[in-house]
Amino acid sequence: MKKILLSKILFLLLLCCSTAWAQERVVSGKVTSTEDGTVLPGVSILLKGSATGTVTDSNGTYAISVSNGSTLVFSFIGFLSQEVLVSERTIVDVQLTTDITQLAEIVVTAQGQDKDKKSLGYSVQTVKGDDVSQKSEPNLLNALQGKLAGVNISSSSGGAGSSTNINIRGVTSFGGNNQPLIVVDGIIFNNDVNNTQNTLFGSQPSNRLNDISPENIESINVLKGPGASVLYGSRAGSGVIVITTKKGSKISGKTEVTLTSSLNFQNATGFPKLQNQYGQGLNNDFNNGSSNSWGPAFGGSLTEVTTLQGNVVPYQAYPNNVKDFFKQGRIFQNGINISSGDKEKNVLLSISNTSQDGIIPGTSYSRNSVQFGGNTKLNNGLKIGSSITYVRSSQGGITSGNGGSALGQITRIPRSYNLLGDPFEDTNGKSIYYLGTQNHPLWSTKYETFSSNVDRAFGYVTLGYDIKPWLNVSYKATADIFFDRRKQVLSIGSARAPQGQITEDAIFNSEINGDLIIKAFKDDFFIEGLNASILLGQNINERSFQNITADAASLTIPGFNNISNGSVFTSTAESKTLRRLVGHYTDISLSYKDYLFVSLQGRIDQSSTLPKANNSFFYPGVSVSFIPSEAFNFKSEILSQLKIRGSVAKVGKDANVYLLNSVFVSGSYGNNVASINFPVSVGGASIPGFSPSSRIGSNTLTPEFTTSYDGGVNLDLLNGRVTLDVGYFYSESSNQIFNVAISSASGYDTRTTNVGLLTNKGWEVELSATPIKSGEFSWNISGNWSRLRNQVVSIAPGVTSSTIPGNSFVGISPSIKEGSPYGVIIGTDFAKNPNGERLVNPQTGLYLPGIPNSEIANPNPKWTAGLTNTFNYKGISLSALFDVRFGGDIYSFNWVDLRSNGQLEITGIDRDKPRSLEGVIDVKGDGSSYIPNNIQISAQSYWGALGGLGSKSAVFDATTYRFRELALNYKLPSKLLAKTPIGGVSIGVSGRNLFFYAPNAPGDPGVNSQGAGNIQGLDLNGAPATRNYGFNVRITL
Amino acid sequence: MRNIKIFYKALFLLPFVFLVGCESFLDVNQTPNNPLSVPPSVLLPTALAGAAFANGNELNRFASTIMDYNYGAAGSPSGWDIYNTTGGDFGNQWRFEIYGGTIVNCNQLIIAADKVGAKSYSGIAKIVKAYTFALATDTWGDVPYSQAGQGELYTQPVLDKQEDIYKGNAALGIQSLFDLVREGIADLALSSTSNPSTDDIVYGGLKANWIKAGYTLMLKMALQISDREPALATAIFNEVLTVNNFIANNSQNLGIKFGSSVGSQSPIYTWTYVSLFQNDMTVSTGFVNLLQGLADPRLDLLVAKPSGSFVTYQNGFTGTLAPVANRSKWTQTVTGTNGAGPIRLLTNAQRAFILAEAKLILPGVNISQSAQTLFQEGISASMTELGVPASSVNTYIASKGILTGSITQQISQIITQKYIASTGNGLEAWNDFRRTGYPAFPEHLNAIGIDGKRPVRCVYINEEIQRNPNFTPILQSNVKVWWDVN
Repeated sequence: MKKILLSKILFLLLLCCSTAWAQERVVSGKVTSTEDGTVLPGVSILLKGSATGTVTDSNGTYAISVSNGSTLVFSFIGFLSQEVLVSERTIVDVQLTTDITQLAEIVVTAQGQDKDKKSLGYSVQTVKGDDVSQKSEPNLLNALQGKLAGVNISSSSGGAGSSTNINIRGVTSFGGNNQPLIVVDGIIFNNDVNNTQNTLFGSQPSNRLNDISPENIESINVLKGPGASVLYGSRAGSGVIVITTKKGSKISGKTEVTLTSSLNFQNATGFPKLQNQYGQGLNNDFNNGSSNSWGPAFGGSLTEVTTLQGNVVPYQAYPNNVKDFFKQGRIFQNGINISSGDKEKNVLLSISNTSQDGIIPGTSYSRNSVQFGGNTKLNNGLKIGSSITYVRSSQGGITSGNGGSALGQITRIPRSYNLLGDPFEDTNGKSIYYLGTQNHPLWSTKYETFSSNVDRAFGYVTLGYDIKPWLNVSYKATADIFFDRRKQVLSIGSARAPQGQITEDAIFNSEINGDLIIKAFKDDFFIEGLNASILLGQNINERSFQNITADAASLTIPGFNNISNGSVFTSTAESKTLRRLVGHYTDISLSYKDYLFVSLQGRIDQSSTLPKANNSFFYPGVSVSFIPSEAFNFKSEILSQLKIRGSVAKVGKDANVYLLNSVFVSGSYGNNVASINFPVSVGGASIPGFSPSSRIGSNTLTPEFTTSYDGGVNLDLLNGRVTLDVGYFYSESSNQIFNVAISSASGYDTRTTNVGLLTNKGWEVELSATPIKSGEFSWNISGNWSRLRNQVVSIAPGVTSSTIPGNSFVGISPSIKEGSPYGVIIGTDFAKNPNGERLVNPQTGLYLPGIPNSEIANPNPKWTAGLTNTFNYKGISLSALFDVRFGGDIYSFNWVDLRSNGQLEITGIDRDKPRSLEGVIDVKGDGSSYIPNNIQISAQSYWGALGGLGSKSAVFDATTYRFRELALNYKLPSKLLAKTPIGGVSIGVSGRNLFFYAPNAPGDPGVNSQGAGNIQGLDLNGAPATRNYGFNVRITL
Repeated sequence: MRNIKIFYKALFLLPFVFLVGCESFLDVNQTPNNPLSVPPSVLLPTALAGAAFANGNELNRFASTIMDYNYGAAGSPSGWDIYNTTGGDFGNQWRFEIYGGTIVNCNQLIIAADKVGAKSYSGIAKIVKAYTFALATDTWGDVPYSQAGQGELYTQPVLDKQEDIYKGNAALGIQSLFDLVREGIADLALSSTSNPSTDDIVYGGLKANWIKAGYTLMLKMALQISDREPALATAIFNEVLTVNNFIANNSQNLGIKFGSSVGSQSPIYTWTYVSLFQNDMTVSTGFVNLLQGLADPRLDLLVAKPSGSFVTYQNGFTGTLAPVANRSKWTQTVTGTNGAGPIRLLTNAQRAFILAEAKLILPGVNISQSAQTLFQEGISASMTELGVPASSVNTYIASKGILTGSITQQISQIITQKYIASTGNGLEAWNDFRRTGYPAFPEHLNAIGIDGKRPVRCVYINEEIQRNPNFTPILQSNVKVWWDVN
């Protein structure tokens, strides 16, 4: 009730500002562009010093009442404003000149507000559609890699449709969602992964932003930090990505048809180099059941061996047995975009198609989307706009992860094993492999499959009305709804489910938002030169989710992949969530004489997920932008503009659903070694069983808050030839709603409570420059550099570390740890002496047992940077992006497995020579004196000692220097096309991930097998990265 | 025109009105996915299955490996085979089978049952809980007990001394395990508003058998502390013998049943025949040699010969192994047919051997039968349960069922037979070994461990050390527990 009163008062305030004006006569005219003479609809015309104004119609004409001596101000986005003294004239025609610098400066900010970048007191980075389209990359987030400062993007793998993680300015929530809020054309857009399988073993679904093709992007604005995003509410605490798709609002009067097409190829890359001197076996003996390559050397006395199946085969190296398991992938993308109309009345139809065959046999991804939308203004002044997009995306994949999957086996192929040459199944479809309990990787790709079929519709309807020229009311309703039908088939004979298992997941997700927005503005508010605008908004939000799992185990009929083939259905389940939120928000922006901008924001949310007593929370923000070069008028040829910005904001966050109660769950025991799931069948009876959930609920939760401070300097030098932006940010996230680890002896695993403090601080530098611009040749450089320091300051009383929710192996726990950055991996470190030297057992020459509960890896890079060089000459454009990720670790089960199995190239070097582990021996056993270890051991023991799950030796430095992207485009001269209906043709070639250099890792560290989410820096038998390259064409009619 | 404007204004204000009028709009945070409370009948099966997993899953594989039932060919068992065990082991057992499994389920079951006066359920829960706490303290020594499994009340429970757990400590408010069992037996004697039936996956709701199981558990626990507390052990034996209501027939064995379909199968079966890790263990040569030395007819019933002869390995062996298909595993006599179990926690044979040993070592115990009679009763019960024909049983007992020599030698005979009868329950064999030193297997080849000797306790799990500052000191696997006197 209080809130309504508040908004009423504000409303009245606004009404008071309107004043009557003396108006004497009417002038009219036409506004055109100096560049090509086309008419400009939607140009705003203001009577200077008043709130009176109008806009040009679709023919570029206008009419306005003026008095003699009035000055009209013509302004239009992308053009230089022009002031014209009316004098005695009745017709005032005006030509507007394009403002090159301003073009890039208008950014779409929170709640769809177009703002001049120089007025913004917080950091926003813009990426143009051209920077992500036609770059050989079907995943939009991947296409942004290296292009944004302060944004960490990591793709999970090169698998078709696999997910990509993104964090803006670090992680702010211990256990909640840390992905930024994605807004597509004003629609809150779901980017969840919704894992239905254990991420250690299951299939890797897409992140749902994959449903947007990079080819459809007009622009992307990244609003960093909460300061930019108070208006969007809770979820904007992790930043906001505002995506604008291509649509008709830019064009003026004519119909434009754009066709795009591209074909790209994909190859697995970054798989480590392997040795080819030694074959299957252990201790220099051949063993046909071993997954090791510590067998005899090739070319010796052993020339023939008998396989597990009893076949006699030559004993030789198969150098490409692993490499050729991965095939060449193909990505084919086509799109057509038809738009017509002007700024006020327009229509758009866009159709796009992507189809991809992955690098792993049997994997694929496809995406088809149709968008239809338009805007119009009715005769009574009501503006209506709408757009609806339907997307169907399908992912055909395989099960991945450790144990019992193709990718889990591919690191265990002995060098002498003819993986691809011999049949992988017998006539009954049974796997033929060197390990009886595992499946041949090719068998797995054929018989252990995963598919995800998404049908998604999202769109909006807006109604807008200008009650007064200075007062606008609008309502926007948006919806984003998808169904995802997933199916995992583990055929009979699968290592993980020897009797077979079929799992169907029917996922429904919907989010509906209604936003009422009242906007008002007033120039020369109280004093001359002070312009004010105010926005009042109300948001009603509902999110619902349902996942129905039908699980059939113990199959009977081979090859019949239907639920009805099962005889045990005990894992069948349903999960449903519903949450609602009502928010009220305001934004008051003041600008003084084009050099001082102050903006105040505030939002009150009421959330269904918090206890009733604590479910309402307020958070404010303030930002200031000051341009001394204007204020003190010291701008020059060298210093075109100096801007200083600063902002402080706080964003509150509600809880996840259903955290308030302790509940009971259907019981289960065990893991992949042995397990039961209730209801169990005992003696012919079905016995249900429930257990208390491992989490203790809390009905006293309060919202969590992130307070952030952001400051920066922006320099425009040499008339815009060089711009430099340096920013610093600091944020504190407190009162985290987190499931804190408690002693297991309590009978429970976690307790939900408000705890902890997490800080992020960092520097971001963006630089763009045009070193050469002469005639038709230009060279542009655009670079970014950022460093982020994240620290878990405190967790909970008596708790110094806690595991991040998600799936993880015992002994390799992605964790929060007091004093360390978020997401460090807790595992077993080497036992060391006080000097930090590794301790070796004097009896064996091997390392002493390690120290558990040690921090062994930190996945966060020290700094990242990206540099794009673009060369333009006539119609030719060449751009190349290099990026660097410096520091940070990756825990790679793949690499350490290959190494301890004797497959990695390094294990073949001097294999017959004994060696000593690096370390020291405690001579007297009492720590009084240490000597360097000199006990000689075999290569097998040596590399074996550096193996093992959960050990520090599986951790590698993830520093990577990467040639991320190369694109060459040629735009045909318009003269050539003058006599055709074709407006423009551009053709190009592009490549991605063309080269990488990772000095301290045997392969490409740019993978994360756990997919998008809070667990990063793990490679537990995921798919490798890919190199993409291909060509594309764009035709405009 | 004006009216239209008012209309639009009103339209835009509608959402505000809607909110005021709809207070329940935000009242949607009751989970539809999980119940907030459940009846005793669905808590009992999870409590029982948890005890079966605690006894029959990973800890059983560990104990069976160090006790020469099994040889560790790969993975974790190959480490245990050379006596290596650290805090990295048994985290899942501690967290999900013991404390977060059967203990918390028993506690919730007692609460739910007492609320509705279903005393039968409370009684069973207390006996199962006592069994599981005994398992935990026998394995790790001092463990959380009096404050364990109570959720928010104690998020970091203290360690109770093993002595206090077994004997109780009024000053510290610690109830003895014996009292806990007594309480359970008393509950079972009370009238109950509801009684278990098929949800009791042990006895199908036969309360009389649960009472017998309770008294048998008291015998097992009394023998366990008999070296340390002979007087207390004697008193408990006599208390139970006076009531004379313990497991006296194979049909009264406390065996937790499973099912033969996927997801219902006993962990021993899944490990042996289904799991990806099934070839990490074979049967040990030590076990086969022992039974061959006794010409024991149970050998062929327990150990499979897929290649026609036993393919087993001496514990600690490091050479090249035979193809997996040829290696000897347990038969379905041990694992339960098609996974149906049972996992045996207390058996008639075990009870007979307990009494036989007590007769020899606790002079104050009033047992009428001779040790030899009880010894033979144990052998017979074991053989009969495994399906050895009566004639073979009699022949075997005639030659192998005679106790001879010193008390120590007789105890060696009893424990050796108890060991054979306990196949599939490695923990019980390990308990007996630590107490008596029998069966006297040689140390494993290539043994490392802490001192090259069999572990005599497990190390507290890393997760618990990380989460609970009360876990100190951290003792290694060569430090004896309280009842392990010699």
